[in-house]
Amino acid sequence: MLCLILWAATPHFLTVSNLLNVLEQTSINATVAAGMTFVIISGGIDLSVGSVLALAGIVLALALETGVPVPAAIALSLAIGAACGGVNGLLVTFGRLPPFIATLGMMSVARGVALMLAEGRPISGFGEGFRALATERILMVPAPVLITGLLYLGAHFVLARTIFGRAAYAIGGNEEAARLSGVQVRIHKPAIYAVAGGMSAAAAVILTARLNSAQPTAGIMYELDAIAATVIGGTSLMGGEGTLLGALIGALIMGVLRNGLNLLNVSSFIQQVVIGVVIIGAVLVDVSLKRHKR
Amino acid sequence: MRNEFCALLTGLAVLLCAPACNRGGSGETGAPRVAFVMKTLNHPFFLDMQRGAEEAAERAGLALVVQAAEREIDVEKQMQIIENLLQTGIRALIVTPSGSREIASPIVKANRANVPVIVVDTRVDAKAVADNQLDLESFIGSDNYEGGRLAGDYLAKVTAGSARVAVLEGIPGHETGDSRLRGFRDALAQHPGMTMVASQPANWERDQGFTVFQNMLQAHPDIDAVFACSDLMALGAIEAIAAARRGGRIRVVGFDALEDARKAIAEGRMEASVAQSPRDMGRIAVESAARLLRGESIPPDQKVPISLVTKGAGS
Repeated sequence: MLCLILWAATPHFLTVSNLLNVLEQTSINATVAAGMTFVIISGGIDLSVGSVLALAGIVLALALETGVPVPAAIALSLAIGAACGGVNGLLVTFGRLPPFIATLGMMSVARGVALMLAEGRPISGFGEGFRALATERILMVPAPVLITGLLYLGAHFVLARTIFGRAAYAIGGNEEAARLSGVQVRIHKPAIYAVAGGMSAAAAVILTARLNSAQPTAGIMYELDAIAATVIGGTSLMGGEGTLLGALIGALIMGVLRNGLNLLNVSSFIQQVVIGVVIIGAVLVDVSLKRHKR
Repeated sequence: MRNEFCALLTGLAVLLCAPACNRGGSGETGAPRVAFVMKTLNHPFFLDMQRGAEEAAERAGLALVVQAAEREIDVEKQMQIIENLLQTGIRALIVTPSGSREIASPIVKANRANVPVIVVDTRVDAKAVADNQLDLESFIGSDNYEGGRLAGDYLAKVTAGSARVAVLEGIPGHETGDSRLRGFRDALAQHPGMTMVASQPANWERDQGFTVFQNMLQAHPDIDAVFACSDLMALGAIEAIAAARRGGRIRVVGFDALEDARKAIAEGRMEASVAQSPRDMGRIAVESAARLLRGESIPPDQKVPISLVTKGAGS
């Protein structure tokens, strides 16, 4: 529907090349939002995803620069991301810190470490083999879109079909009840945050390939974009409900809006207002609909 | 799922009124569309550049589209904006790169779409140009290195060749700031009495200029002079000097000659500022695009003159 309006407003919107363009641009926010969805469903929040993305990107870039083979460098980067998330999870589970505080701390720590490792400078210029992750097209579809699609398929399976996925919903619904009914909260909760960290690292891989550069200042405010996509997609910040398909649609709505506003030549100041209004509007209507249902 | 539907409705409502809010430049008129993608639009320097560009576009009969990311260092957003504008059939792209290396990826896309690219203010990293075989029509910018030298020589002159100097750097890895820094350091090197006691990035920002310089003053209370790679940082440093009640005893030299800086110079709170002409940059960039569209050739490197604004001259 939004697409139809945009098509009416500007003929450039509904072209195959622009739609692929939007998908490619959305891939990074969508990937981060997938991890965020796990955390929010479990009743938590992760403010560190943007910083973890920067750190994972820098680690990846340093590894590639020193000649580590591409798959190993990517694995290392994903491991670092998952480890940062894991630490968040441990702090929340065993340190009994509110997720807001634990991940706020990690947000600063990961950013600082990224800046230290990179000595404040962007690291750029990688081999063709790595950049193919962003430039390659398979049946016209850009590689980042395929990667994000596969990640979503995998994550959807995990969330909907595994014990781990059901544990996330149970913990978000009522943690005490989940624990009493035998859910291994101490194992599942850190793992949930590790998924978020790992997804941020996956987004870092795509972003680094796309820009052919890793920046220690990358990903600032991405946590808000990811939270927005998740929430627009119908996931409740109270935990216990939400879907990955929702997060994907939420991310696409934000991507389509940004793209459409660019095509219409709306100033970036107004764009921020529009995105904010959409977030608030979506959740406002959702909340009032739920109240009427009761 | 309801939620998405609501978001769509809200988005729809906003989009319907959005075209009413945008000011000029976009219309599907017959005039050739030229895109000017800036680093940011919340900095007086780029607003001046925008003004110069819009005036020139009107004279040349071009439809100018000016856009920028919300934050100056957001290289990914800038890339997205360029990708999006390339979809709208622009005839030329003018860009002030947010990152001198990261800009290579979107320029590759412009090259592939046969859209000529003109770079303004911040140079594309030479290695990135070579690696990606970028096709750039022209670079238009100040001689930042020369500006840094000018500032260094001036400070040496007013302190009679002997001073303890602190430097506020821009975002690290930024060609513009690095060139100013190199010029300044090279100038200082010729005056043995000038020592650099501290040099730290304040990321082009006023509030960071304030805090970073406040910290520097704690570490080196005997600083005589500051060179800030931009006026916003210099103005921040001036606030820090005032807060430390050291006003008038520390000489501050900035870069950009912003309105606020000129005022500070006139009032004696600031020593000098290197003046760029962003308005000329914007004008020359758009005129160059117009010439390209007429099939004329343009010089690959166009230097916009710089000068020093001091209390005695030019303010």
